[in-house]
Amino acid sequence: MSASKNRDISLLLHNEKQSLRRFLALYIFLVLVLISLLSIFYYQSQEKLMFSNQRTVLSGYATEFVKKLKILHHYFPARYKYPRDDRFKSAIYDIERVLIFSTLDNNSTNLDKVIYRAGDKIHFVKYLDDYYLGAMYLILEIDEDRSWYRDTILHILALGTIMLIVLGIFGLFFVNLFLKPMKNSIELLDNFIKDTTHELNTPISAILANIEMMDQSVMSEKNIKKLSRINIAAKTVSHLYQDLTYLVLGHQRVSKDEMIDLKALILNRVDYFYILAKSKKILFDLDLEEASLFIDPVKIARMVDNLISNAIKYNKRNGQIKIVLRDNYFVISDTGIGIKSEKINSVFDRYSRFTSSVGGFGIGLNIVKSIADEYGLKITVSSKLGEGTTFRVDFPKDNRDEKSN
Amino acid sequence: MKNLIKRVAFVVLFSTMLFSQNVFEENCKDCHRDLPASLQRMFMAYLKVYSGEITVKAALKGYLMKPDKRLSVMSDLFIDRFGIKKKSKLSEKELEEAIDIYWDLYNVRNKLR
Repeated sequence: MSASKNRDISLLLHNEKQSLRRFLALYIFLVLVLISLLSIFYYQSQEKLMFSNQRTVLSGYATEFVKKLKILHHYFPARYKYPRDDRFKSAIYDIERVLIFSTLDNNSTNLDKVIYRAGDKIHFVKYLDDYYLGAMYLILEIDEDRSWYRDTILHILALGTIMLIVLGIFGLFFVNLFLKPMKNSIELLDNFIKDTTHELNTPISAILANIEMMDQSVMSEKNIKKLSRINIAAKTVSHLYQDLTYLVLGHQRVSKDEMIDLKALILNRVDYFYILAKSKKILFDLDLEEASLFIDPVKIARMVDNLISNAIKYNKRNGQIKIVLRDNYFVISDTGIGIKSEKINSVFDRYSRFTSSVGGFGIGLNIVKSIADEYGLKITVSSKLGEGTTFRVDFPKDNRDEKSN
Repeated sequence: MKNLIKRVAFVVLFSTMLFSQNVFEENCKDCHRDLPASLQRMFMAYLKVYSGEITVKAALKGYLMKPDKRLSVMSDLFIDRFGIKKKSKLSEKELEEAIDIYWDLYNVRNKLR
C-alpha cells in the first residue's frame, strides 16, 4: 500500500511537473522579453551617452574650425587652401544644401541631424551664424570608437544572465508556493478516488466468490434466478471497478508483456460475461482460430472485456454477438442499436457515450483505444444505425513476430 | 592681296576679342574701380550674409533694382562715406546676366583647394 502511495504521488508529480514546465516556459519567455526590453533601453542610453560625449568634443573642434574658416573668408582668394585637421575630416554646405567643399570619407550626410552615425563614422553638424565662404552647415567627421559597443554588449550579457538566473529562482519559488494548494487538493481527490476504488474491491470479490461457492442444486428455481441477477450486478460493478483501477493506477503500472493465447483469453472472457449476456438473451457466435499476441495480460483482458461488455450493453434483447479470431486480427460485432455516423469518430473519447439510456461512465472505449495505441494495434469501427456495430482490431506484425523470439 | 585681307580680318577679330566687353564689365567694373572695397570683397560680404547661389543672386538683383541702405551688406561706415548706389538702369535680363557673370567670376567653390 505504501509503495502504491509513493507511485501515486509520483504520478501526481508528473502532471504537476508538466504544468510547472509550461508555467516556467511562459515565465521565462516573459522574463526574456523584460530583459530584452531593458537591454534595448540600456543599449540606447549608452549610445546616447556616447553621442553626447562625442558631441562635446566635436563642438569644441567645430568652434576652432569656424575660426579658421573666418580667416580664410577674410583672406580669400589670396589664401585658398581649405583648412584641414588630423583629428577630423570636414565639409561645408551652403544654405541651399549645395556642397562647397568636402574632405569627408563618407559623403552620405544628413543636415537635419546634429549628430549621427554614417557607416563606421560619426558626423557632427554645426549651423554657422555667419556664412563664411557661404557655408551655413559645417560637418565634422570622426571614426566611431567601438569600445563602448563592446562594453555595453558585455554588460548586457553578464547582467542579463544574472537577472535570468535570479528571476528563474524566484519563478520556481513562486510556482511552488502557488501550486501548493492545488497540489494538496489534487492529492486529496486522487487519494479519495483510489481509496474508494480500493475499498470496492473487497466487497465485490467477496460477493463474486460467495456466488461461485453457493450450491445451486439445493436452491429453488426462483432463488437461482435471483442469485443470477446478483451475479450479473456484481460483475457489472466489478467491471466498472477494474476500469476505474486501470484509469487511476494503470498508467504507472509497469507492463509485463508476454505471449497471450488469444483464443483461450476470449473463451475465458466470454464465459465470464455469459450470465450477463444470458440476462438479455444474447447469444455468442464464436469463430475462433489459434492466435497469439505479445502483450500485457491485464491490458488485453481490459480491451476484450470492454469490447464484449459494450457489445452486450448496446445489444438488443435476443441479439447476437459474433467474435471472429484470426492470426492477425479479431472482430467483435453485435446486432445492437448501432452508432450514428457522425458520432463514430468520437466513440473513443473519454466520457463519450452512444446513448444516455444505457448506464456507464463512457470510459470503456477510451481505455480500449489507449491500450491499442500503446501496442500499435489498429482499431476500426463500422456501424449501421439499428443494425449493429463491429469493432475490428488488427495486430501489428512485430507483436505477432515475438513468437519466434 | 589675299594676305592683306587675311591680316585685316585677323586684326579686326583680335581687336574685337580684345576690346569686347560683356554687360558686367561695361556696367559694373568702372564704378567700382574707385571704391576701396573691391568687387571680390563685396562678393564675400554677400556670401557671408546670403550663403547660396540662388539667395545671393536674388539679393543682389533686388538691391541693384531698388538700392536701400537697410538692405546693403556693406558697413555703415562705408555707406556713410560713399552712400548707396543709384538704381540700375539695366533691364532685368541684363541685370541677371551681369549677376551671373559676377557669380562665376568670384565664386569660391572651384577655387578652394
